[in-house]
Amino acid sequence: MVNLTIDGRAIQATKGQTILEVADANGIFIPRLCYHPALKPIGACRICVVEVKPGPPRPLPACATPVNEGMEVVTNSERVLKIREELMKLVLINHALECPICDKGGECELQDLTHALGVDQVDLEAVKLAPNHDYESLFVERHPDRCVTCGRCVHVCRDHVGAMAINFMHRGYFTELGSGQLPLDCEFCGSCIDICPVGALINKLWKYRARAWEVEKTETVCPFCGGGCTYELHTKNDRILRVRNEKSILLCSRGRFGFPVVEAPDRLKTPLIKENGEFREASWDEALDLVAAKFKEVAENAGPNAIYGVGSARATNEANYLFQKFFRQGLGSNQVDNPGRYTYIRALRGLASVFGVPQVSGVEASSAALLPYHSPLKLGAEAQGSGFPFVLGHFDDLPKADLVLVLGADVTPEMPPLGWKLLRALDNENCRLVLANPRRTKFDRYAHVSLRYKPGTERILLAGLLKAFLADNPEWTPAISATGLEELKESLKKVGPKEVSQKTGVDDALIKETAALLAQAQAPAILCGTELLAQDKGEQNVQALADLFLLIGKPGIPGSAVYPVAEKNNSRGVCEAGVMAEHLPGYAHLDEAAGGTPLPEMLDKLEAGDPAAPQALYLLGGDLLRAVPHRSRTEKVLKKAGFIVVQDAFLTDTAKLAQVVLPVTVHAEQEGTFISSDGTLGVLAQAIPAPGVRPDWQIINQLGEKMGYKLGAGHPQQIFRELAQSVPLWAGLSPKASYPLMPGTVSGTFIPFDVDLSLPGRRPYTLIVGKALNHSGTFTTHAPDGTLKLMSEATLQLNPEDAQNLGLSNGETAKVISSQGEVSLPVALAPEMPAGVVFLAEHFAEPPVHLLTLNSNLVRVTIQKG
Amino acid sequence: MIIPLLKGLATTLRHVFTKPITLQYPEEKRQVAPRWRGHPELTINEDGGRRCVACTLCMVVCPSNAIKGIEAAEGQEHEKYPVAFTIDLTRCIFCGFCQEACPKGAIKLNNLYELAQYEKSLLILDIDRATQKKSELRMADWL
Ligand code: SF4
Ligand code: SF4
Ligand code: SF4
Ligand code: SF4
Ligand code: SF4
Ligand code: FES
Repeated sequence: MVNLTIDGRAIQATKGQTILEVADANGIFIPRLCYHPALKPIGACRICVVEVKPGPPRPLPACATPVNEGMEVVTNSERVLKIREELMKLVLINHALECPICDKGGECELQDLTHALGVDQVDLEAVKLAPNHDYESLFVERHPDRCVTCGRCVHVCRDHVGAMAINFMHRGYFTELGSGQLPLDCEFCGSCIDICPVGALINKLWKYRARAWEVEKTETVCPFCGGGCTYELHTKNDRILRVRNEKSILLCSRGRFGFPVVEAPDRLKTPLIKENGEFREASWDEALDLVAAKFKEVAENAGPNAIYGVGSARATNEANYLFQKFFRQGLGSNQVDNPGRYTYIRALRGLASVFGVPQVSGVEASSAALLPYHSPLKLGAEAQGSGFPFVLGHFDDLPKADLVLVLGADVTPEMPPLGWKLLRALDNENCRLVLANPRRTKFDRYAHVSLRYKPGTERILLAGLLKAFLADNPEWTPAISATGLEELKESLKKVGPKEVSQKTGVDDALIKETAALLAQAQAPAILCGTELLAQDKGEQNVQALADLFLLIGKPGIPGSAVYPVAEKNNSRGVCEAGVMAEHLPGYAHLDEAAGGTPLPEMLDKLEAGDPAAPQALYLLGGDLLRAVPHRSRTEKVLKKAGFIVVQDAFLTDTAKLAQVVLPVTVHAEQEGTFISSDGTLGVLAQAIPAPGVRPDWQIINQLGEKMGYKLGAGHPQQIFRELAQSVPLWAGLSPKASYPLMPGTVSGTFIPFDVDLSLPGRRPYTLIVGKALNHSGTFTTHAPDGTLKLMSEATLQLNPEDAQNLGLSNGETAKVISSQGEVSLPVALAPEMPAGVVFLAEHFAEPPVHLLTLNSNLVRVTIQKG
Repeated sequence: MIIPLLKGLATTLRHVFTKPITLQYPEEKRQVAPRWRGHPELTINEDGGRRCVACTLCMVVCPSNAIKGIEAAEGQEHEKYPVAFTIDLTRCIFCGFCQEACPKGAIKLNNLYELAQYEKSLLILDIDRATQKKSELRMADWL
């Protein structure tokens, strides 16, 4: 505690706070311009000057001066008032003064400040500067003549986004914000727009569409990745005009510019029924009656197991919960699963095999009046938990890690918030970043060690790391109580000394260096992404990674955790809500016999014409064709299912195979909850009406009614309560909080893993199918005004040397051939690709990338010109 | 008693020879003062374009919600201009606040005062009807 006085008022403050922070906390207003609470003090404008005693005779900037014991601060002496006024005049000297047409008008900090300081005349003159407007850049419009050179945008872009796309040019009065007079070529996250105190940076989607005071704000959750950013939708006349995150300002390009998907021209507006191979529009009653009749018929003739449900990582927890309830309680079968089977569930299963499934005790019913979206369970005095959820990290803790190992993830495209937190972790100069990826990614710039392994050799690399680590530290005892270390050591003996560097292509010295870093780390964190999960042996990959964490991890120390990327907004929630063949809500386990058929096995059964194969499919959204490897097979197999019902906002490729398509609301049009990748409960609020379409839960409920089931769903809040009642792990959970909230004990068993290379075939190139920064699954590819502008098609990312050998140049069409199929698409030269490895983003309908893949996101291909 | 009678007569006679003050309305129109507050309208430039930049300040300041539905668009030169603008004369109280708030001199109260209509809807002016036009009733020095 520090005691000081501000304007004669005695105040107590915490050490390390700045004068400005203390003044704000105590309701004393100090004018400021460049300071923003989300940034470190910049100290550029000096508007915040105050007199400080004891201290130097000159006034000090309040935003950058920490408080000290016995400090006397004067915020409004004649001298500082005069200084502020003069500074304001200098700021205004060349300001464009276009408030009537400036979109910042009404929320402009310069307007407010001019008003607060009472500056109404500028009696100074200076040479006029060229305005140098930038109308060219996508999504961002720049008006340097409105810039007050506060530096906020430069700082947010460099320190928080990590893009370093803008900086100041020239000096002094001629300082100008720029990117070398060229249009922006950056991540287009738009964070600079919203941090700008004035209208120098303008959001083009928002431009001229409303004045700041006209909008209604609705806080909701972003639906475009598992990061779960909370943001405000600004709406006017039932249209979304922009998206902002008032608190941290940060959002990614799809979060900020992806919202036009809500108004996409190809949104479905009425139910569709297929007749003679053609869809026709139908009324809700007709469509639901048809589905109910068909489901009843199938259930009567072939038993309830003949209807199979696929949940969705896009839908809310409530919809997914009700969906599995429809099957489990209504139909009486466990035939449900979700497409996370091909990615995220592999992470869960891999971690569960090492750290065990969640066990919770000491949870009791809460007696307090229940607020919306609060768990009806609370933590008892003795509440305890164990199992894998206790090694999963919260994003907010990541900055406390002192070593971060990133394996098989291009962090920013997969989950931008994880990238932002990683930058925060690197603020700590003792934090070490080990980046393992076949490609060069954004974070290579910050990495202390880069392990560029060959695609598909993750487990060999991990075996090498474990071996090197155990060789250096033969007496090592894990911080977590662990069994099976001897067996693991035994199994690692199979890996020859040269084998690792030979097969992975990573130098032994680098592996040794990494092992040494791992041994020193006090709070090691491990990040892994879909690049590693989407492989056919994704689960084993995670097992190997979990073994490593069991060896070096220190759960209990904040930051030391595993951070698997849950790709979609509710990838984690759909599993928690029980849309899994082997789990009820809250991971309550079903034994083998009782459990349903996992999705891949269901497809196998369909393909084999197994009598136990489903005869009707109920898909809760999500484009299976575009998400599951080996598309031609998936398509053939799905056609074998007699009757398919799809609930989706768009007529996706999968929906085109359906007999009935039911249009649903998207995030901005409904209430409900998502669980983000780090276990945070995000609450959706309805911002705009959705004529014609219905929320998922309502459709499921109505279908249930028509089939005579009593699902009893009346409102998302009530469904949430019912769901949370059966998830002890969520005890005490409330909006924006992360679970588990109870103390946990973590123990584990090392599981030996095989170290084969899972990439068969002889074709010369390895194709990695992955994620691009500007798209979220296939969802954002429906919005022509949204991020589709940033990336409108898939390109084959190819090393320039490879391209030269193939005779291909930028933009030319290449034919990519695998044993499964072939696609043609334009080439983009990408120096970040190693020789022999090519990359393709999977989001687009054309070309259908999964025509090439077999059972993994990796496949060997031949590339030809033409 | 004759004297008061003559006095009255004198007054009457005096007025017989002065100019009449009765205005033969509607044949004759009343000329109003330059500061007269008629109904608000959107003014135009020399080239005939509207001056308004759709800043909506008039809409914000209007105490009786007479200005509504201002919608903006972006022009060739990135300028902002209104594509929709409604002045509801059934609500207007002729206070002139809009004129005072407008940073562009784009909305002014003219000198028109014959506003009565049989149809109420005629008093709700859309952007075209709210835009200044030539009018016989207008004084030359109005702008
Ligand atoms: S949009 Fe994002 S990446 Fe681009 S300059 Fe602004 S902050 Fe930087
Ligand atoms: S563009 Fe905005 S945020 Fe950037 S320096 Fe200028 S005023 Fe500050
Ligand atoms: S897509 Fe992810 S990172 Fe981007 S705004 Fe949405 S939640 Fe945040
Ligand atoms: S004169 Fe007054 S009431 Fe009429 S439109 Fe203008 S501000 Fe509104
Ligand atoms: S205040 Fe003037 S410029 Fe602004 S909208 Fe009204 S008429 Fe147009
Ligand atoms: S706000 Fe302190 S220097 Fe700008």
